[in-house]
Amino acid sequence: MSALDKFLAGWSFRSSTPDYEPGDTIEVMVTGEKGGEATARIGDSILRIEGAPDDAVDTRVLVAVETWDGSTHRGTGTYRETVGGSAF
Amino acid sequence: MGAAGGSKTEPRISFYGGKWASTVPLGFFILWAVFQSGVLGIGDTNGLVIGALIGTILGLFFVRGDWKTYADTIFEGMTQRVAATAIVAWLWAGMFAETLQVGGFVEGLIFAADALNVGAATFPAAAFVLCGLLATGIGTGYGATVAFVTLFFPAGVLIGANPVLLFAAILSGAVFGDNLAPVSDTTIVSAVTQDADIGGVVASRFKYAIVAAVPAFIAYLIMGSVLSGASLEGAAALRDTATAPGLVHLISMGVVIATAVAGRHIVEAISWGLVVAVGFNLALGLSSVSDILVFTVTEAGTFTALPFVAVGDTAGVGGSLYAGAIGFFPLIVLTLLIVSMAQIMIRGGGFAAIQEFLLNSVATTVRRAEVTMVLGTAAINGMITINTAAEIAIAPYIARIGEKFNINGYRRANILDANTSALGYIFPWAGGVLVGYQVMVGPNGLGAEYGPEMVVNPIEVVPYVFHGWFLVIVFLVAAVTGFGREYVPDRTSGEVSRA
Repeated sequence: MSALDKFLAGWSFRSSTPDYEPGDTIEVMVTGEKGGEATARIGDSILRIEGAPDDAVDTRVLVAVETWDGSTHRGTGTYRETVGGSAF
Repeated sequence: MGAAGGSKTEPRISFYGGKWASTVPLGFFILWAVFQSGVLGIGDTNGLVIGALIGTILGLFFVRGDWKTYADTIFEGMTQRVAATAIVAWLWAGMFAETLQVGGFVEGLIFAADALNVGAATFPAAAFVLCGLLATGIGTGYGATVAFVTLFFPAGVLIGANPVLLFAAILSGAVFGDNLAPVSDTTIVSAVTQDADIGGVVASRFKYAIVAAVPAFIAYLIMGSVLSGASLEGAAALRDTATAPGLVHLISMGVVIATAVAGRHIVEAISWGLVVAVGFNLALGLSSVSDILVFTVTEAGTFTALPFVAVGDTAGVGGSLYAGAIGFFPLIVLTLLIVSMAQIMIRGGGFAAIQEFLLNSVATTVRRAEVTMVLGTAAINGMITINTAAEIAIAPYIARIGEKFNINGYRRANILDANTSALGYIFPWAGGVLVGYQVMVGPNGLGAEYGPEMVVNPIEVVPYVFHGWFLVIVFLVAAVTGFGREYVPDRTSGEVSRA
């Protein structure tokens, strides 16, 4: 990202329910788990993550998005790898 | 990052009355500060020191068991790097600003303002821009406030600008620089605590800063025309003393800004500025050696031939280096006590209790989470006088709450720093306001030199710190509308290269 791009990033009104496309690979913070499966809350959208490690909560992981419902802002994806942790 | 440890470990101090009792020292101090400076209108920093001491003693009586842990926590808080950073910045900035003052910088600015036709009405707007520039360069809003209240403020008041509005405009400039400067201690804290690189953080926060700064500038232009200035006897005579040579200290300031923007440490930047300022003073005859540093003895002797030794009625040390540094001693003591009270609150569990409440009851959607982050940061900074200390205390909550909604580190850092910077310069007990007030009321203060018109009651400036208020409003609007919001998947941060 160029210096100019850094200054111009974020000059927009962003939805509280971001949507993603099947096929996207995204980095997310795992924010909780439900029924033994990791979940990532992105704004008010929810991504269920299959195959994540048991201790994945509060780690940053790469996820391949497989399904996404734009009306409910819910989707599923597959865990790829852990790339970081919480800032605290 | 003292608060980080507090968020992950069990409280080490147990209180009668539970975790909330750990807020007694800081809570008592805030009530004292509001009563003293807000209700009674007494801005004496030494008075706040006594309030902090009594508050710290009061907290002792709520401790269960051995009081030693509580006492140890006082030392733990005082030895945090954040306190030392602020103290060093104040000492250096105080020496620098005082040396420029004895070098006739004020007289030069009065001359320039007359020459450039910057009148009373436009002086506050000009002060906002110039103080913002200096603070962005040297990275310390406190230092910029000291320099501008010492140098620009008297010049503006003598020209006829409203003292309250002018002080508020200087504070607004300090907010701007504290928020945006890459070398600012608050900028660095905001970036490293949110796992974001400093360069990216500065670039991403430019949009918020400019959206608040433009209307603030316009507001100062408008209010500068609406509010009248003080009537100072002898102002005309002082204006006659305005001379151009003192303007050479614009170069001294430029050296500090250029060195700081080039990425040098704040101590190095101000030291170079100090060397240049002393050089100009002596080379151009703007001041004598003894104006900068003097040892006064009561009887003439071998050493009185030296230019920095003088004979006087009372033995002592003086000069701009001495007066500039010593003027901040009361505030330094207060700072140490405040960070120790904050540490007691962290070790006592008061901060953790607030975090639990926020995550479970308030921050239930991303909008509510961001509004909570804005108001939480503002509230903590409203309570804790020294804004960098407040920022460090709240940083773990901003990280945790933001991460629960995958809010990007840049966005979290911007919410954290903007409200930290803004609230650090608005209320009467805020550190930024106090340092400026200290310049007015100190032993060699503006009030003693020019008269009571040069002393502004800190509570009067509250509504006029436009950039501070606008920055908070911008972030509240941004939280509700999503302006500038970025999520973790949007982009990853660069290396956090400067801790």
